[in-house]
Amino acid sequence: MLVLGIDTSGYANAIGVADGERVLADFIFETRNESLAKIMLNIDSVLKDAGIGLGDIEGFGVGLGPGSWTGIRIGVTVGKMLAYSTGKPVKGIPTLEVLAYQARDCHSLICPIIDAGAGGTIYAAFYRRGNNTVHQAGDYYIGDLPDLAGMIAEPVVLVATDVSKHQGVIGQLLKSNTVAARESMPGGATVALLAAARLENGEPDDTLALAPLYLKESTARAFVNKYSKRAQAAQQG
Amino acid sequence: MLVLGIETSCDETSAALVADGKTVLSNIIANQLELHRKYGGVVPEIAARRHTELIGYVINEALDAGGKSLRDVEAVAVTAKQGLVGSLLVGAAAAKTLSYSLQVPLVGVHHIEGHIFANLLSNPEIPLPHVCLTVSGGHTMLVYVRDYCQYELLGGTVDDAAGEAFDKIAKFLDLGFPGGPVIDRLATQGDRKAFAFPRPLLKAKAFYFSFSGLKTSVINAFKGQLASGETLPLEDIAASFQEAVVDVLLAKTLRAARQYEVSTIGVTGGVSANRRLREVFADAGNREGIEVYFPALSMCTDNAAMIAAAGHARLMRGQANDLSLDVIPNVPLEVQHVG
Ligand SMILES: [Zn+2]
Repeated sequence: MLVLGIDTSGYANAIGVADGERVLADFIFETRNESLAKIMLNIDSVLKDAGIGLGDIEGFGVGLGPGSWTGIRIGVTVGKMLAYSTGKPVKGIPTLEVLAYQARDCHSLICPIIDAGAGGTIYAAFYRRGNNTVHQAGDYYIGDLPDLAGMIAEPVVLVATDVSKHQGVIGQLLKSNTVAARESMPGGATVALLAAARLENGEPDDTLALAPLYLKESTARAFVNKYSKRAQAAQQG
Repeated sequence: MLVLGIETSCDETSAALVADGKTVLSNIIANQLELHRKYGGVVPEIAARRHTELIGYVINEALDAGGKSLRDVEAVAVTAKQGLVGSLLVGAAAAKTLSYSLQVPLVGVHHIEGHIFANLLSNPEIPLPHVCLTVSGGHTMLVYVRDYCQYELLGGTVDDAAGEAFDKIAKFLDLGFPGGPVIDRLATQGDRKAFAFPRPLLKAKAFYFSFSGLKTSVINAFKGQLASGETLPLEDIAASFQEAVVDVLLAKTLRAARQYEVSTIGVTGGVSANRRLREVFADAGNREGIEVYFPALSMCTDNAAMIAAAGHARLMRGQANDLSLDVIPNVPLEVQHVG
């Protein structure tokens, strides 16, 4: 099954095409806040490089995040509208799973990590390999590295874009050399492979309902505080 | 030419089908008010999340309601300038994808330009040139419309938008969100002269507005009443505040019409639905020999039909965008000199 995969959750965006297990194209580009400006042009050039047209694509895969909320919304909307306008199925793939899959040759526990923005908060999850793919063990994690380190009780490989700082902190905390690290970026072809497997299994998502994976609440709470403070000041002033 | 319009610049997710820039086949508007009400204002992150959830459904419904399929769409127009960046991005991503997939032209529209076209959709006979006042919760702008796609921006607000002042006062008085309709309703029972609120920049020569000081005066009047233990004349406060806003809007718009020697005024945007504003502008128009046009109520607030109409006009002038189209959250309505 010929699938186009995209992931726009990080500082770089990814576009790839896979036919079953065979990768036809895999392209990563730095966006610098130009994700929207670049995404369609890059999809077009990746398809052209792979020697295919949009009409040849049989399904779409979309990285759902977590990561940059704004970035993910662009990717999810593009994937959703590609599927809608071509009448082909779409499948969303959690970006942590994409990173874990890219380390599926590891026998130890696999722990992908994605930065959650300010304050040193991270998203993470644990995966184990099996049947040449990975399976999530437990829930998604959101918190800080020391807390995450406390959950590690066996050899683990950390997978992240900027993995050395995480490895340093966690290795120190655990005073252990059972923490390996692997630098990795979510790849578009990986998204396509994982989506193809599920689409071939007859598990597409509801196209129009496709939505990002938000592990954190929105900033509404901060908004309330800002306004109530202002209202209080106005009342006192 | 059948144009699919998409508008997601603030808290309305909208898609519309407009034929030849004038016939509205559908205009679907998914309002997010319920999500933002408890915050007394639009929360950008909540709006962007909701747009992402709704955009596909809204586009699909616009096609259904218009009795057309995607294959019938000949161009896609989208609000690309002026608004909340996270919200703009969702509509623009959808529009770009459809343009690419359907292989039809793409055109990005300035949100204020859309509001100018709302009047044309409701009143095809509106003459050119005219002066257009666009007034809502997000913007207050006075534009000289020389021709379609040829504008001169005369002035805007230096602080709050007029509709924003309505929202903030309604929030302060605990009247609910959005503030415009509530204050409009309360004001009908109130005395417009009960409080002599300031008319900011009324005499200033430039066409700029300021509503922040007025808002503070209203809040102080409210606190004064509260301190003196009198019963609060909410209706009087609402009526007096609304009158001050309308006075300023009218004075500036009339002065612009005189200076630019036009006998037509258009008033658009969410606040153009305000009953007192319509009454005062219509009376002044009669008195001064100026024709005043308002869009149908359904075209006052943000909607995609007005974006489709504006996009059609740009396409007719050869102004399509390519797939590198990006959004710009804060940019003045550009002056276009065509041919
Ligand atoms: Zn508007």
